[in-house]
Amino acid sequence: MDTLVLGISTSGFNLSFWVGVGVIAGIYAIVALGLQLNVGFTGMDNFGMAGFMAVGAYTMAILTVDHDISFWLSLPLSMLVTMGFGLLVGLPSLRLRSDYFAIATIASAELIRLVAQNAQGLTGGNQGIFCSDDFSRCYDDAWVKVSDTINGWFVDLGMSDPPSALPLLVVAWIIAILLTVALVRIQSTPWGRVLRAVREDEDAARALGKNTVGYKLQSLVIASAIAALAGWLLALNLATIHPTDYEPIVTFFGYSVLVLGGLANYWGVPLGAIFFWVLVEGTRTLEIFESESQQVALRLFVAGAVLILVMVFRPQGAFGKREEMMLGD
Amino acid sequence: MTEAAASAPAGAPAESPNVLEARDVRRSFGGINAVQGATMSVRRGSITALIGPNGAGKTTFFNLITGFYKLDSGSVYFDGQAIGGLPSYKIARLGMVRTFQITKALSRMPVIDNMLLAAPDQPGESLFGAVFRPLATREREREITEQAHELLASFNLDKKANDYAGTLSGGQRKLLELARALMAQPRFLLLDEPMAGINPTLGARLLEHMQRLRREEGVTFLFVEHDMDVVMSHSDHVVVMAEGRVISEGTPDEVRADRKVVDAYLGGELDDVSEGGE
Repeated sequence: MDTLVLGISTSGFNLSFWVGVGVIAGIYAIVALGLQLNVGFTGMDNFGMAGFMAVGAYTMAILTVDHDISFWLSLPLSMLVTMGFGLLVGLPSLRLRSDYFAIATIASAELIRLVAQNAQGLTGGNQGIFCSDDFSRCYDDAWVKVSDTINGWFVDLGMSDPPSALPLLVVAWIIAILLTVALVRIQSTPWGRVLRAVREDEDAARALGKNTVGYKLQSLVIASAIAALAGWLLALNLATIHPTDYEPIVTFFGYSVLVLGGLANYWGVPLGAIFFWVLVEGTRTLEIFESESQQVALRLFVAGAVLILVMVFRPQGAFGKREEMMLGD
Repeated sequence: MTEAAASAPAGAPAESPNVLEARDVRRSFGGINAVQGATMSVRRGSITALIGPNGAGKTTFFNLITGFYKLDSGSVYFDGQAIGGLPSYKIARLGMVRTFQITKALSRMPVIDNMLLAAPDQPGESLFGAVFRPLATREREREITEQAHELLASFNLDKKANDYAGTLSGGQRKLLELARALMAQPRFLLLDEPMAGINPTLGARLLEHMQRLRREEGVTFLFVEHDMDVVMSHSDHVVVMAEGRVISEGTPDEVRADRKVVDAYLGGELDDVSEGGE
């Protein structure tokens, strides 16, 4: 949870605080879009997103810091590595029944995190990764330059002191929106139709000549590529990569976004992400609590209560179809 | 028999009159021999019924020959091609398509999508085709949408095309499952209790469809059925299973007169066992 702390709460409107919330919301929109593909449209309860995010982030950082590979080249490379991990996790576990698949994926994510925590030489262990030992190279060097350029544009536009996270907000949300559009479009193709058939009944899909394991594997590998995107953005946002940034709670927050936005609808995801993070982080700005520790506890309490209320009164979330929820058998 | 089958893989050449040959098919589940050496064939263009008392292994046999269960031993030929050990989706693509005893409507998909899903040769079903061949995909989609609407109309389901399949009645789901299987353009259709749970009017229509498809399209049928009136009046060949084996085979009249069959059921009139499912 500490990793999600964005800044100190203040009364009144604090632009850089809300920009920070927006960045986190954008990152989780991307995480939940990957989950939507798996959970909402393929019927695969993937609980391993945090692990795939870690693989994407760590690979990017290891390539740039330890091997002096350009940041821009490290992105496609680390995405490929993450997709490889998706394949590796999927191959043995996809034949499992869905609840066992969920267990296998959460275990694989924890495995990745624990390896990251203990493989000192490769990942920096509990110190995490940031820069090379002599501080001559950091993984976010290239991004900082781009970020400064973008903020230069905001200054040119007349903004006096743009928040340092503003460029990341812009980039994260451009990615989230483009990804949403891309997923909506691919879902409407016959390929997407087969995924939905796999979700509904794998045996029926097989009996009609569909290689269901192949489709599930594709779904999982695409989700892991999406997780790599989210992993990079999280790494750039925190400016350090640390094993505790990729605990299972990250995946659970992704599921919360999914529930709020509604299952089997991609457009609900960005909306759910904004709603969830405004709820969780925005309650920091409320000065109704006695002490800081009370506030921390009560914020999550409020978020949990809202989730429960949504499940009770609007199980389909923001954009999901109630009829589809009722027909699930 | 096993030896003979193994040493004569060409025993079911393409010119063979049989669309299906299963030889000494075996499968056990944890010590229970569900199918213990079933040998049977289905003649091309026939409507063959598979009957037998509950627990005879009919559904297991279906699952074995369609690749849903792995064979312990034995061999299966479809149009002369060995298909034992092939995954189910590949067997379906060869043109040997099955339905299920408990209908598997894709509930949260519209009826029309259930139909379109089954159509073969849609380039847009691969990720590559979906992204890079949008024109071919759209063209094929047009063709199969037209086909699907025609088929739905012939099953009186066209008004339901845009409804979720989960909203259909039990009988309508059976019809949808048959229509959907037909979209896959099968040469050989295996129906597991197609009449179970549907009203007599729909049942009669389903039987008419079977007869018409056999007549007009040359589709071969193998169906599991408990209603002996249906079996006797609508099939031209009957295979009887009991305790995991094929105990009798022949025309409806031959089977009806077979002492073994009568014994296997209850030592009485076959008409007495028209009740019941599995």
